[in-house]
Formats: sequence, C-alpha cells, structure tokens
Amino acid sequence: MTVAIPSSWVTHVGLEIHVQLLTNSKVFCACRNSYGDPANSNVCPVCLGYPGVLPALNQEAATKAYLIADALESSLSPEVSFERKNYFYPDLPKNYQISQYAVPLGSGGRFTFECDGDEKTLRIREVHLEEDAGKMIHVADVSLLDYNRAGTPLVEVVTQPDLRSGEQAEQFLIAFRSLVRYLGVCDGNLDEGSLRCDANVSVSGSESELGTKVEVKNLNSFKFVRAAINFEASRQAEELATGNSVRSETRLWNENRDVTESMRVKETDSDYRYFPEPDLPPYPLADEFFAAVKQRSVELPLARRRRFTAAYSLGARQAAFLTAEPDTARFFEACVERGADAGAVARWLAGEVQRLLHQRHETLTSSSLTPARLTELLSLIESGEINGKIAKQVLAATLATDRDPRLVVEQEGLKPVTDTEALEAVLEEVIAAHPQVQAQLARDDNKPVGFLVGQVMQRTQGQADPAAIHSLINARMARVQQR
Amino acid sequence: MDQQAQQAARGWARLSEDAALRSRWGERVRTLNAALNALIQFDPESREQQWQRPAGDLEHASPPSRLTGLPFVVKDNIAVADYGLTCGSNLLRHLQSPYTATAVARLQRAGSRVVGKANLDEFGMGSSSQHSAFGGVVNPWDAGVVAGGSSGGSAVAVAAGMVPFALGSDTGGSVRQPASFCGVYGLKPTYGAVSRFGLVAYASSLDVIGIVADGAELARAVFEVMRGVDEWDQSSIEVAPDDARAGGSDATPDAAPTVGIPRSALSDLDPAVAEALALCESRLQEIGCKTVNVELATLEYVAPAYYVIATAEASANLARFDGIRYGNRSSQVAGAAEELVLGSRSAGFGQEVKTRILVGTYVLRAGFQEQYYQRAQRIRTLVRRDVDRALERCQLLLLPTYPVPPFKVGGGGLDEFQQKQVDAYTCVANLSGHPALAFPVTISDGLPIGMQLMAPPFAEDRLFSIAGRLERKWPVQRAPGALTMDDLVPAEG
Repeated sequence: MTVAIPSSWVTHVGLEIHVQLLTNSKVFCACRNSYGDPANSNVCPVCLGYPGVLPALNQEAATKAYLIADALESSLSPEVSFERKNYFYPDLPKNYQISQYAVPLGSGGRFTFECDGDEKTLRIREVHLEEDAGKMIHVADVSLLDYNRAGTPLVEVVTQPDLRSGEQAEQFLIAFRSLVRYLGVCDGNLDEGSLRCDANVSVSGSESELGTKVEVKNLNSFKFVRAAINFEASRQAEELATGNSVRSETRLWNENRDVTESMRVKETDSDYRYFPEPDLPPYPLADEFFAAVKQRSVELPLARRRRFTAAYSLGARQAAFLTAEPDTARFFEACVERGADAGAVARWLAGEVQRLLHQRHETLTSSSLTPARLTELLSLIESGEINGKIAKQVLAATLATDRDPRLVVEQEGLKPVTDTEALEAVLEEVIAAHPQVQAQLARDDNKPVGFLVGQVMQRTQGQADPAAIHSLINARMARVQQR
Repeated sequence: MDQQAQQAARGWARLSEDAALRSRWGERVRTLNAALNALIQFDPESREQQWQRPAGDLEHASPPSRLTGLPFVVKDNIAVADYGLTCGSNLLRHLQSPYTATAVARLQRAGSRVVGKANLDEFGMGSSSQHSAFGGVVNPWDAGVVAGGSSGGSAVAVAAGMVPFALGSDTGGSVRQPASFCGVYGLKPTYGAVSRFGLVAYASSLDVIGIVADGAELARAVFEVMRGVDEWDQSSIEVAPDDARAGGSDATPDAAPTVGIPRSALSDLDPAVAEALALCESRLQEIGCKTVNVELATLEYVAPAYYVIATAEASANLARFDGIRYGNRSSQVAGAAEELVLGSRSAGFGQEVKTRILVGTYVLRAGFQEQYYQRAQRIRTLVRRDVDRALERCQLLLLPTYPVPPFKVGGGGLDEFQQKQVDAYTCVANLSGHPALAFPVTISDGLPIGMQLMAPPFAEDRLFSIAGRLERKWPVQRAPGALTMDDLVPAEG
C-alpha cells in the first residue's frame, strides 16, 4: 500500500533509542559485557537475580551515559538515582528493571544533524541509564532463556516528536550512530541490536498538534526505520482521510510484507508501579566525575564536518564521507599532517582505498594501510615516480602483503618506463605490426593514436607513462610530415 | 569481654579442639531441635573438615579473635555457600546458595563456624515464627508460647544453648522481638552499618542483618567483626569507630548516660511489661543513669507507615521468585510463561506472604502512590526527626520491645491486625535507621520480658556498654533445659 500523504497532513515522529554501552562489565555486577558468547556464560548470582544479591553501579557505565547526555546538550543531573520498573517477563531476572524515572541523568537537550541537504535540530526529551533484559528464544514448542545480556548497561534516549518523515528519521539515526561511535560508547550495530530504535508516529492536521500516537517496533535496520515510518504515516493518513480514527496501539514492522501490524492495543498506560530503588541510594557525583566526562568529550561529527569543509576545501559529500566514522576522519587528518594533499587523500580514501577494503572485507583500522603508507603512495605519484595506474597496483600490493609502497615499487620493478628510446622501440614494433596504422599515420590521420597508446601500455604492462607515449607519437607524426 | 563471658567463649572454643566434645554437642543439639524446631538444617558431622582447618588457612583470615572457634547458626534467609537458602518457603525448599553473605564471610574469616540454618517466618514476614513451611518454632520457656519472629529459630537456638550466637534479620523487629520472647540479647544495627549483601530482601530500605547472642559483650564482638562498608552493598556506610564513639558513653565508660523514656507514647502496656519497664528504669538509676521523659508523638503512625513501605518494597523484592531460574517450579505443564509463574507462586508462597505482596502491589498502583507510599515516606521522615529530637535530650532511649508478654501459639488473643499494630515499638528503629538492642529484664509468670535501648546512628557501643553493665549486676536467667558447655564436659577427677 502506498498512499500519497495529502499535503495538509503533518507526520510527527519521535524516537526512543536504546544504546548498548561498550563496557568491560555489566552495569550492576562484574560479569563480562560481551556480545555473541555461548548462552548463559556471562552470568552470576547478581544478574540472575538470586535471592540476597544487591546491585553495585559500574562507574564506567555512568561515565559513558553522561558522555551521551553531555553530547546531546542535556542538562546533567548532579546525582544518579534509580527506580524500579515492575513487570513480569521471563527474560527479566528480578521481574523488575532498574531504570531511571523521576530524575533521568540527562533532561532536555538537542541534536543537530544534516537533513535533506540542510541542518535540522531535533529536541531531546531525556537520557537515562538502565539495565538490559536477557533474551527469550522460541524453538519449536519450547522457550529458551539466555541471560548473557541481562544486566548489560543500556542508555535510552527519548526524542521529542520533531521528525517529519521516515527519511528524516533515517538521516537522524545515521547521524546518531556516528555520534555514539565518535564517543566510543557503542558500536552502533543495528543488526546485532547494540543500537535499537522504536518510533512513535502520529499524523495530524497541523505542525503544532500531535495526532494519536502509535508505537512502531522491530526496526532493526535504517531501511526498516524509513520504510516502517512512511508506511505507518500513510496508513494513519488514509484512516483519517476516510473519516476513521487512529487507534492508540503498538505495531510491529513486518519486514516480509513491508507493513506494520497491530501487536497490542493500549487501553491505558501500563502501570509499572515505579518507586525509588532502595538498593541504590541517590549517589552524588563529585566535581571530578564531571571534569572527567568533559575531558572525555570529543569533537562531534557535525562540528568536524564543518571544520573539514572549511579547513581542507572539501566538497560536502567528501566531508560527509570522511567524518561519518571517527576512524576515517583520524586517518585523513594523520595523512594531511604528514604533508599529503587533503584533496588527494580524500579522493583516494573515498575511491580506491574504500573499494579495495570492501573487496578484502577489511576496515581502515584492521588493514595494513597506515597514514604513513598512504602519504608515501601519494608522494610517489606527485614526484612522478609512478603514475596513478601503477599507484593502484601498489596500493593493492601494500594491502595484500603488508609492505610499504616504496618497497613494493622497488621490489616489483613497478617504476614507469621513462626511457624514451625503449618506449620508442616498442612504439615502432607496434606500428610495424599494423601496416594499416602506419598508412593512417602517414596521411596525418590521428585516429589510431588511442589504439597505439593502449598497445604500448599493454606491451609495457602498464608501466609506461601515457603522456610520454602521446608525445612520442606526436613527434613521430611531425617528423613524417616534414619529410 | 568480662571474665564470665570470656570463660563461656573458651568453653565454646573447645569445640574446635575436641572431636568427641563436638559429637556429644551435636547429639544434644539434635535432641533439643527435635523438640524446638529452631533449625532447618543442622549437619555439622558432614562438615567436620571445617573444624580441622585453622582459621589462618582461610583466605584473608583475620588474626585469632574472641570469635575463633565459636559455632553459630544463620537465619535461613541469609546466604551461606553450600547451605540451603529456603527462607522458610516451599518455593525455595530445595535451593542451595551459590555464595556467602558478606557478614557471614567476615565472621568465618574471624574463625567462627557456621553449623546450621535457623527457622523463620517465611521471608521474614511475621512475628511468631509460625509462618514457616518447615513448621513453627517452639519457645524453650513454654511450648505453648510462640518464640517470636521472624528470627525465632535464631533466638531459640541461642536461648536453648545450642550456639552462643546466631544471625537474624530485623526489618520491623524480627531480631529484637524474638530475642525478648526467648530471654536473650538481640541487636538491630544502624541501617548501613552491616552489609546486606546475601540477606534475602524483604523490605530493602528497612532490612538489616542483626545478632542474637547470649550476652551483650559477645554481641559487641560479633558486631565489630561484621560491620563496615562493603563494595557489594552501596547502602553500606563506613564510620570510623572514633566518630561513632564521639560523645558516646564509651569515651568515659563509667560515666552515667541520661536515658530518655517516651512515657506518654507508651499506651496500653500490659501490666507485666509496665512492671518490667519500671524495674529496668530503677536498675538504670541504680547503676548511676539519669532517666528523663521524652516525647515520641509519631509512634502512633509508625505501624501503618511501616507496613505500607515494607509491603511495597516486598512486592518488588519477591517478584523474582517465579520458578524459572531456581526454586520449585509448578508441576503443571505450562502453555505459556505466565501460567508457569502463576502456578509456581501460587503453590510456593504461604498466605502471609501472599497477603503482603498484594497489599504492596495495591499501595504502589498509579494514582494510589500519593495516598499510601508517598505519605508513608513523609511519615518516615517525621519519625526520624522525632527520634533525633528525643535523642538531643538524652544519650539513649528506653522502651519495651513489645507491649505484651510472649503470646500463645495461635495468636494469644491478638488477631493478625493487632499483631501488626503492636510492632510499633520495634518498627520505629527500622523506619528511623537507628540502632537498637533488646535485652532480657525479668521473668514474669515463667516467661521472659525484654526492653530495648536505642542510640544515635552508629553509636552501638553505648548499647553494649549499658546492657553489659546491667547484665553483670543482674545476671540473666537461662531458659529451662538450656544446654551449657559444662553439661558436655565429663566431670574431671
């Protein structure tokens, strides 16, 4: 179903984003916080909710949660306090979740991101820290429980309903993922669930008024976020257009049918019977804590993009590519610091480097390419020691064999053939082998020039400089004419 | 420790040196327990090796202390590795604890040995030790009278001479009331003084691990070992002993503190209890204390506020018992997880526990929190201020542990509601967080009657000092048939 949304309808989208924090241990116990380990291998009496155990707050989790809140310009709570959120579910060991309710660690805030070719600022409602639940897996007629994830630290970011379309939500989420990766607090993998997102979608007749809210879940890729929100907005608009009303409910995105489907109707808000967590008395944070948070804050993607565009005279797309991942940006700047030309580095990173890495299933940091090596490669080109075509071969060899570009050039004899006599000999060989070409050249017909260059390049295994071949051909033609 | 207490401790310490003595002791305890049902688990024979192992072999062992070699039992809602952790509940009948509570581990490092787990009201909910899936506990003074609760098993084990001390938990008087009913000492430490890690939570903001002991000085020695901050309990607090003693009676041990009695708040005292209070007051004066009247007007709001907060927290604390990860699981084939949880909880919990979970769930409902939970929290703040204010006029507060003598099995004329109302005298210290020590005062009609002293936070030393002085001057009568070490040692020559 694709229904064009009448221009009079306004879509309002707010997101609830769950960020799994990268910490060594879980948020309230010493168990390893690690994805993909054998089921129930990272558990202890605390995260299994054994009788008599107590939670003890992991400082690293608190610091990383505050880093996110600070980056989102939230007002930071001077003390951390927790509530119990009570509900029964088999993946929740204590049958209550330790979360924040009365005073989240970050209140308010905003986040500016590139949206539809412009910049858009989204308001943040709150940022809070909580523990994750385990996983229940249904196999045939049994249910299995894995508590490895139970008690891992989770930050929930709730936005205001400032997004107007699935596309905007997708662009925001891409920028948000870039943010958490910059901060080093989350690896941002939607498919592994380390970044999870639910959308609250409503449609109304005006910018200022919200419609009846529908919560959409199961959005585990950027594509699904966009598609599900757009579908849901269209569905609601159609309901309204045909005189029906929208039900307040929770819907699931069905990725096989590309539709949202009703999961449960919200008669009233669930009663979680929140009350202050007595096991974790409000914990006032020292000035040193906030100083450490400030010290660990980094230049954020958008600021870096603006700086790159201005400082290195880059195009918007180049700057966007270079700053999307902190590793790419760091690599780029390291090359420039070593004296490489910014434009050349940007072109190579976005072009051949990315292509080869993709082909080799490697990343910039996992590969054997370093800023020093890329800088060396570019200086070999600039000095004319190799041409662009050879440079690509050198880069491939550097990646495959972990050697410096200069060493590759020397060991494989990849220097361009600059010996004019040798080149001229090859050229004559080619001409001699093609009498028709010889005749054309004699008539001062320059049609076969391209063919000749190609042939010479082929015979020299690409090591000849095409420009040099061109000038040899021109010189030869001039000589023939003079005769 | 005074001479008498030291002698007693030496007697107990001989257990660790003498296997034959241990064997006779084990037999006697078993015989006593058959009549009293104080212990859910007692199998020292299967743990003989713990006596062979000197305390110094234990990791981080403390140097030999007054507690070296002393056996003790632990209320069965406190975790000890390789022991059960039934909490007196059918639901946890077969649970083995995978870990040891911090307070217990500290005592073990000081050389004390856990020898059994004590019976209790299920999950610490009750004041008679009759609400246990393992049967009621019998008071050694009179089999027709309750032992008090919920730490009735711990109190009876000490009163009957099975062990010199025991650990209990005190959420609303659960150590002090049974100690008074059984004629022994019962300490509720300051909230935060002793780590709760390993204590199965009933009401987290009120729960403390407490001590039952056969003397004030032994209670002090046990407390000194258990207390102190624990990284696994963020509500635990470290207070330097000097801070705690500052201004306390111990700076000048012979000084006579002023003791305040909130007389106008003590309505409806049973005549026997009123008499015991008067006796205690005169004894305090005799050892040089001055007694004054103080106000404690909020006492009448203590019981309702206590039950709102305790049940609210209990409703969440007991939610984890669903039969999924541990505990008895409903034997009915479950079509859905909810059925399994419902079946396990319906079959596993006793009536008193179910009642309190339901009340707690009710008072926390959206729209009702202001009327119940928030209001109870405000009362709690007022009670704390009230006690602090009373303690500005004196160094210690004296009040009965319970307004009536130990009651008969079956309620003794008190219905379930009245049994909760009369908890006010003990609940006040749980709401306010102050330390309180129950101690035996007299025997009336063959039953012990106790009083309690309350002190400022972390001033437990004052409690032990005064109770110890009273004990030395007016020795405490032992329960009929109580075991003594002398009984076990064959007469020499």
